[in-house]
Amino acid sequence: MAHYQPPKQSKISQLVDVLVLLVLSIGALYLPVKLGLAGASVVHKTVENPTWESLGQNPVQAGQYEALGYTPESAADLITARFDYSFSWVSLAIMVIVVVGYFVMMLKLSETEYREVIAEKFGER
Amino acid sequence: MTDFDITSGERDGMGPHGTKVGLLRVLGPAHVWALGVGIVLVGEYMGWNFGVGKGGAYAALIACWFAGILYTCVAMIDSEVTSTVAAAGGQYTQAKHIVGPLMAFNVGLYLTFAYTMLEAANAITAGYLISEVARLTSGVTDLDQRPFIVLAILFLAWLNFRGVLATLTFNLVITAIAFVAIIILFLSTSGVLGTSMMKHADLMSGQASLPYGWIGVLAAMHFGLWYYLGIEGTTQAAEEVRSPARALPFGTLAGIMTLMTAATLTWYVCSGILPWEFLGDGVNGSVAPLFDTARLTGSGFLVFLLGVGTLFATLASANGCINDASRAWFAMGRDRYLPGWFGAVHPRYRTPYRSIIFLVPIALIFALGAPLDQVITFSILSGLLEYTFMPLNVILFRKKWPMGVIKRGYEHPFHPIPAITLLTLCAVTYFAVFLGYGTQLVAMIGFYIIVSLWFHFWRYRFVNRGAQFTMPWPRPAGY
Amino acid sequence: MALWTFLEYAAWGLSALLAALMIIEWVRTDTTYSEEVLTSSREGELEAMTEEHKIDGGQA
Repeated sequence: MAHYQPPKQSKISQLVDVLVLLVLSIGALYLPVKLGLAGASVVHKTVENPTWESLGQNPVQAGQYEALGYTPESAADLITARFDYSFSWVSLAIMVIVVVGYFVMMLKLSETEYREVIAEKFGER
Repeated sequence: MTDFDITSGERDGMGPHGTKVGLLRVLGPAHVWALGVGIVLVGEYMGWNFGVGKGGAYAALIACWFAGILYTCVAMIDSEVTSTVAAAGGQYTQAKHIVGPLMAFNVGLYLTFAYTMLEAANAITAGYLISEVARLTSGVTDLDQRPFIVLAILFLAWLNFRGVLATLTFNLVITAIAFVAIIILFLSTSGVLGTSMMKHADLMSGQASLPYGWIGVLAAMHFGLWYYLGIEGTTQAAEEVRSPARALPFGTLAGIMTLMTAATLTWYVCSGILPWEFLGDGVNGSVAPLFDTARLTGSGFLVFLLGVGTLFATLASANGCINDASRAWFAMGRDRYLPGWFGAVHPRYRTPYRSIIFLVPIALIFALGAPLDQVITFSILSGLLEYTFMPLNVILFRKKWPMGVIKRGYEHPFHPIPAITLLTLCAVTYFAVFLGYGTQLVAMIGFYIIVSLWFHFWRYRFVNRGAQFTMPWPRPAGY
Repeated sequence: MALWTFLEYAAWGLSALLAALMIIEWVRTDTTYSEEVLTSSREGELEAMTEEHKIDGGQA
């Protein structure tokens, strides 16, 4: 196989490449946060005039909360917060397709590039 | 290939007449341990407890042990491959030689992101800790954490800039102190010395045992990784270790054993003293669980010790992260996967100085701008993608170069069982991440798909084809 | 409290100093050495096990 000669890259083009990567990565990481789509949904059960008993805490648990400096009122939000683990099968299917599809695509493209590398390094068979 | 032995004492990484500069081979197995454990140990001081919130204390323990199995597989696979592919860039260089360039580009990005995000999370925790100290010692409640976050990142970047030996020796000392602090806390609260303060039975009874049932156990796997995330970074030091084929497997496997011990002890003392709802909320509740546990013991000495331990653990971790992320970024620059400008080595300090400087502002953006659990999730997701790559990598490695074809410094047993176990546990963890952070997962993979296409159709033209295969191996089987 | 206000400023100052040190050293290095020398590191040249393998066929 002919020896591949990569083109020389100009300074400007190098800079553009770095900027592209930066914008893409910061965008991908910040977008979900900024759009408020990130994180699990949390539901709170409201308890009127909370006491340790009505919050479902036994004396030992209540004792540790008090040692940490909490009162039933200030601890209520912390204690009653629960994650919502309900999910739709459609979105699970989408996730599976995205993850598997990503790896399949990457392995396929890598394979073609890898054959070129081996052919140039060790010569064509 | 060069015609002289560049690793010999008199040359020591420097080419004839000072025409070439490379990284410096100065590290021993203890530094490898310090790099691996140093990065990870902070996971015991903060972050793992989000798993308690996800499913309760028992769920976090189950997740801790399953993640321990996952990482044992990671360490075994990694030790075998890296004892053979000993170059800066670690898994990136492995992927380049074993799977292909595009995979390598992706792995390089996983590494850089996982470590840079972890570094940001460490800086956030260090800032929080200093504000806690201000509050507890002098009642200051409106301390500006930002200068301390910035200082932590810049100080460690500067240390890394100045040379790897000092950086990792510093890491060895502070990691050892942070590890001993956990042991002392365990000994003095568990009843081994003095009376036991453990209240597991009462704190984990009734609704507190498995508050979400078994789905909570699955969900906890997401943060179960946090107990160990980063141990695979030991491979980044491959070009700076004196005898990589021995030191890397030894340092990595010793590291994973240290971490399994520390993780279990941490879970034991924290869940025996802190109620799970408080422990599990790492934003409004317990940001630094070991420190909070020490506070409840009422011992001034333990509060001080674990405060110092937390600070040291965050610094050791951020330090190792800067080291690893910059090595990965540097290795990609050197191969022109990224602009070649990043492939520079400082002639005197022998560090990839441009990569180190470049990654500082990125770490700052996330340390100053994003909430802790999000930053941790970015890091975990990048790590998870990397662990998914590892079994594929080792299966192809054994297929392309069967045993006996090349010299392996370490051969992992029971192949392919560790690879299959690892792949299965990764699948479980994807589901766990999906339960809470599905949007980020899809956004992140969307990002990797776009940059993959960008790399394949644009960036790859600047890469030398054959020359990037640098290992002195025979032609792979089947090619 | 004055002590902590002072520490905040000290941290900002120290950060700026370290940043300046790194940037100065970076510029100094880039202007002292040629780009060829700085980017002369090649993967595999430091490979300790090189001599233990046999390369069959192909050039590096």
